[in-house]
Amino acid sequence: MTVNTVSTFFAVGTILLGAGLITLALLWAASLVSDRAAAVLEAVAASFDGLGLRLAWVMAVTATLGSLYYSQVAHFIPCEFCWYQRIAMYPLSVILGIAVFRRDESIRRYVLPLAVIGGGLSTYHYLIQQFPNLEVGACSTIVPCTTAWVWKFDFVSIPLMALASFGTIVAVLLLDRPSRRSPAATMEPTTHQEAM
Amino acid sequence: MTTASRQTSPRKFPLVPVIFGAVAVALVVTIILTFDSGTVEAFGTPVVTGEALAPLGDGVDAAVGQMAPSVAGENFTGDAVTITNDGRPKMIILLAHWCPHCQNEVPVVQAWLDAGQLPAGVDIYSVATGTSSTRENYPPQTWLEREGWTPPVIADDQAYTVGDAFGLTAFPFWVFVNADGTVAARTTGELSPAVITQIVQSLVSG
Repeated sequence: MTVNTVSTFFAVGTILLGAGLITLALLWAASLVSDRAAAVLEAVAASFDGLGLRLAWVMAVTATLGSLYYSQVAHFIPCEFCWYQRIAMYPLSVILGIAVFRRDESIRRYVLPLAVIGGGLSTYHYLIQQFPNLEVGACSTIVPCTTAWVWKFDFVSIPLMALASFGTIVAVLLLDRPSRRSPAATMEPTTHQEAM
Repeated sequence: MTTASRQTSPRKFPLVPVIFGAVAVALVVTIILTFDSGTVEAFGTPVVTGEALAPLGDGVDAAVGQMAPSVAGENFTGDAVTITNDGRPKMIILLAHWCPHCQNEVPVVQAWLDAGQLPAGVDIYSVATGTSSTRENYPPQTWLEREGWTPPVIADDQAYTVGDAFGLTAFPFWVFVNADGTVAARTTGELSPAVITQIVQSLVSG
């Protein structure tokens, strides 16, 4: 199994996650104006009932292992921004795991800020990869944050994979909130709007 | 969502099957995309003789005046290309296919060559190094062919042996060699045609 094969798998996964996240964002926007979209969003959110923590944990572990694969197996050297994103992602794979086994829903308050900060770092890192000429006139061989180690389908790089991972963690935790779970009958049909 | 029964049990999507389905789709797509990607040979087996130059640092370059190492390698079609002390001044440019500054510089240098700016007594060589199949604009030979790159190219190996021998630290990396085989200058980054001309003229005039 070559680095190219693994990267292709991660890139396809990133595209699928990205498509899902964009669909969710559009659905949420539509739900603000359309009852029908709101009903669909409610059904989507209900599908995540009780699964949010587990899915977020699986995502964090997958991202962590992917990151370690790139540095330890493929020998890609993490640049400065890679490290900041690792600082935001790696703890999630541990604390979400503990929360899953303890069924500790309050972990959201700790996980969401980390994931949002990590997503912001990924976004900035991806932008400087897209516009590397903003930096100096030569490509360093040492730790270039501006040049992508992986560039699949002409747009998927490692920080984009990280962004999709952080985005997925945020999305599944917001979709599966304890407050929106049972007793479902007591919930007003309109309360879903604050879910995203 | 008007009846109580629908509120108590809202419609659900089969999430777990969807997730497993997505993973399966990703696997299948990966297998299709990587099954027969062909074996593009982007690496060579160059042999370096002589002492390697120290990595280029800030300040005075200690490698200036040192004998440049010799390289016996091949281009992408397997023809021998040799950089050795043949009594002629030479300029060597080390390129990485994924580096946007190299991508900018290649057409600039090619236009400079096409304009006949290279003095008759000076040779130009290039080295395709830093090559990685996961990175942008791979393989390097496709890129250089697209740009109509005419200088001889040595394909570096996966350990970047040639790059290390010249003390490569950033792309594009330039090594200017005097007629006596000593290093005249090393530098990194995009050079303008005027600067290239100036350095090469200084090689000719000794």
